[in-house]
Amino acid sequence: MSLWKETLRRLAYLGRRSRFDADLDTEVEFHIETRADELARAGMPRPTALAQARREFGSPARMAEETRSAWQFRWLEDLAADLHYAARAFRRNPAFAATAIACLALGIGANTTIFSIAAEVLFSQPSVRDPYSLVRVDIGGNSASPVREYEFLRDAHTFPGLAGENEEMETNWRDSDNTYRLSVVRVTDNFFDVTGIPVALGRPIQPGDSDRVVLTYGFWQRRLGGAPDVIGRKLLLDGRIDTVSAVLPRDHRTVTGFGFSPDLYAPVTDPKTYVTLYARLEPGTTRLAALSRLKPACQELDRAYPDGNHKWANNLHVSAVSGIERIDTEHELMRPVAGFFAVLMVVVGLVLLIACANVASLLLARASSRSHELAVRLSIGAGRGRIVRQLLAESLLLSACGTGAGLAINIGLTTLLSRIQLPLPIPIQFLIQPDWRLLAYAAAVALVCSLAASLAPAVKGTGVGISAMLKHGEHQLGRHVWTLRNVLVVGQLAASIVLLCAGFLFLRNLVNASAMSPGFDIEHTVWAYMRLVPESYRDPAKTRGLVDAAVERLRSLPGVETAAIARVVPLNNNMRRGTEVSTDLNSRGLHVEFHINYVGPGYFQAMQIPIVTGREFLPADRKGAPRVAILNQNLARRVFGAVDPARHFVRFGQGETILVAGVAKNSKYFSLGEENALAYYEPYDQSPGPVADLHFLVRATGRPEPLIPGINTSLGQLDPTASLEIKPMSKALVFAMLPSRVGAAILGSMGMLGLLLASVGLYGVLLYSVSRRIREIGLRVALGATPAGILRLVLRQSAVLSAAGIGIGMALAVFAVRPLARFLSPEVRPADLMNFVVVGAVLAAVALAATLSPAVRALRVDPVEALRHE
Amino acid sequence: MAKHERYQNRIELLQGTLDMLILQTLSWGAQHGYGIGQAIRAGSGDVLQVETGSLYPALHRLEKQGWIKSEWRNSEHNQRAKYYQLTAAGKKQLTSEYSRWSRMSAAIAGLMNPGESEGQA
Repeated sequence: MSLWKETLRRLAYLGRRSRFDADLDTEVEFHIETRADELARAGMPRPTALAQARREFGSPARMAEETRSAWQFRWLEDLAADLHYAARAFRRNPAFAATAIACLALGIGANTTIFSIAAEVLFSQPSVRDPYSLVRVDIGGNSASPVREYEFLRDAHTFPGLAGENEEMETNWRDSDNTYRLSVVRVTDNFFDVTGIPVALGRPIQPGDSDRVVLTYGFWQRRLGGAPDVIGRKLLLDGRIDTVSAVLPRDHRTVTGFGFSPDLYAPVTDPKTYVTLYARLEPGTTRLAALSRLKPACQELDRAYPDGNHKWANNLHVSAVSGIERIDTEHELMRPVAGFFAVLMVVVGLVLLIACANVASLLLARASSRSHELAVRLSIGAGRGRIVRQLLAESLLLSACGTGAGLAINIGLTTLLSRIQLPLPIPIQFLIQPDWRLLAYAAAVALVCSLAASLAPAVKGTGVGISAMLKHGEHQLGRHVWTLRNVLVVGQLAASIVLLCAGFLFLRNLVNASAMSPGFDIEHTVWAYMRLVPESYRDPAKTRGLVDAAVERLRSLPGVETAAIARVVPLNNNMRRGTEVSTDLNSRGLHVEFHINYVGPGYFQAMQIPIVTGREFLPADRKGAPRVAILNQNLARRVFGAVDPARHFVRFGQGETILVAGVAKNSKYFSLGEENALAYYEPYDQSPGPVADLHFLVRATGRPEPLIPGINTSLGQLDPTASLEIKPMSKALVFAMLPSRVGAAILGSMGMLGLLLASVGLYGVLLYSVSRRIREIGLRVALGATPAGILRLVLRQSAVLSAAGIGIGMALAVFAVRPLARFLSPEVRPADLMNFVVVGAVLAAVALAATLSPAVRALRVDPVEALRHE
Repeated sequence: MAKHERYQNRIELLQGTLDMLILQTLSWGAQHGYGIGQAIRAGSGDVLQVETGSLYPALHRLEKQGWIKSEWRNSEHNQRAKYYQLTAAGKKQLTSEYSRWSRMSAAIAGLMNPGESEGQA
């Protein structure tokens, strides 16, 4: 009989168990009846005959047991019985069970939630057909290539399918009188064919389509109210009429990943678009083989479109779009994120460890108060293994309940998280759903927890000699177990010190970031973002005219002090350049990397960035006028040393000479945490190329909010097809604060959770020890001990435990928090003594609070009661 | 654990012979548990007493092996009784058990009575 069939049969037996027992009873009864009949026929009175027959039969129970064992899994039944017994015991002691389950639920809830988020962010699969044969292709070291080059490679048939997409595009959607800016992924017409992205409604974009769009579920629901007749609807996008062709399913995940959730997919219409390439490989082709085939195709491409400076055949990459290898695809972004999650996993691991220690401590207390029961069971012949198994079953039941509750917490938190709209400049929406990975992880965690929490109590609880246990009764026995519980509590306190240190560092980081001045004014500034339809503004002169008109209108609004245009809004977007710079004082080139911005006249006044020497940009600094620049203090010092750079010249590489008009005070450009950043400004009018994204910065004389409607109308009148987003600068800074906020929120709450669990542990141990020593305390009181003396007794124990925990925790924390430095702003140093002082004080205070109730309990001991009790 | 194994061993020793006797009894026709016990006792001239504590577990073990099958029928006194019956596999098993047992008992007899020649038992 195969193992599988055997298992099925045995399981079926378990299901039919009661019928089996009934049948066996009938069989036994028949046997006894028949024997009694026979004896009666031989002349015995019927009742005597029946009794005789029963005696001859022997114990039906033992027979039944052995018959049954022919059919069943012995251990499975034992486990069921153990679990049943454990459940009964927990019902009798609900406080114990509830505390243990709550501790585990918090620990497991925190743990699995971080796991869910990490799994979604790092390992989520894009919604494409067979994600493992889809690869991203980078040629010439660029993450995106022009459409012309893409088409060449597509037609070279290097791969069974090659498609391109650009996810950083935007479009203006004119909906009756309003214009909204939408996030759109521009795709080549074969993109859906090659990737095999499934749609929920309609048909995807197909080769030859140029005016069909595919909506995401979120856009369809939010903006179109989930209208069922959406297919075929016309949308006015950037002045063109496009038809809705399909709607994507709710759980659509882009190939970009990271929860990126655009509004729609539309075909590439502008031949100047750059697209990121995705290729479908033949089944069984490795990425390395694909790479070797890509090389000659790109060399062909270089011959077809020769470019002296750039070779497409260099720096080729074929990288994965899913699975763990994806981290390498986007390593610049992914590595720090993966690092942060690694830190988080360690942190929640510690929290879980603390929770397990609590449960172990509770089980230890239980085991020692049950030592008498265990001793009786051992002495009447229960194997030690059998009792250990029973104790394991108890903690297995606890862990299962805790994991169930933890998963409920997980689902609640992740659902909440999936609804949050993050204040980011790009649309990010995580879609975290429970899946098999989470279940497998939770099951593993539950198993580890139950082992971790029960092994020590089980071995300790059964390891003491039976006679010792029976003879001395329970209250003497505690001594052994006692030390183990103390060790657990000290460990918990130490672990929570480490957690608190980490959490406190991130809190300080947040405070620091909130207090940090970005170097420009945010209280009175409004940021107005106007996106033009690029096709209507091909002529730079037209854009310039619009910008000048807009600035003039804004300045004439009541309550406006000044307004200016800028290419980049600091702390929200970023432009950087690294190049050789030489000056009229020093012709030897110096390599510098700096942030660059193109700003109009009045920018420095609008942002309240002081000009240290020289002058601001003036309306006269136009296109065609001599080129001028403003440096920040850091860049000025780096390039000119102590010399005042005003009216000197700089030169990038072999370019033209540029007059330094002035020096601006240092401020923040990309992140609040940056230090000594170099920055360089040029006049907006002298910037290259027409730009569809216009950022106006408006300085209000009073509060900025009342200005917003006026700005909206006056900009809207200039071009109704432009989309507008206007907000106070303080709101726009939310993005810059996000990393510190998230870090502080997660690590801070983990620290608090760890502290809570550890204080519950300390409280439990102290209370338990007082309840164990009631007789001793009673005796002391009877012999004249003062309340102060009794208090000292409890406090001393608490102090010893806390001091040991704090000491060990501090020593660990010094090393443990060191790797966090890279996530913190430079002002917050992990080694700062202040952190440890504060964290130690917090823990000591919490420990004292946890001591209060046990101390009161000890003081209330009535000597007469206590002594009579025993 | 050790105790459990010892107990198993004791059953093992009895088991082979008892199983063979049960199979032999059933080769004459279907019978219920009590009837099997009686038949063995009567057939051995009251020498072999089958413990009920061993009989029923053995019956269920044989059924699980597929050597016998069971069915509920009414007895001669119109009581519901479980009747056991030999299967084809059981017949084969009986033959091999019997030949094994014959060889073993001949060997034991040879050892116990070294003077006598083989094959007389």
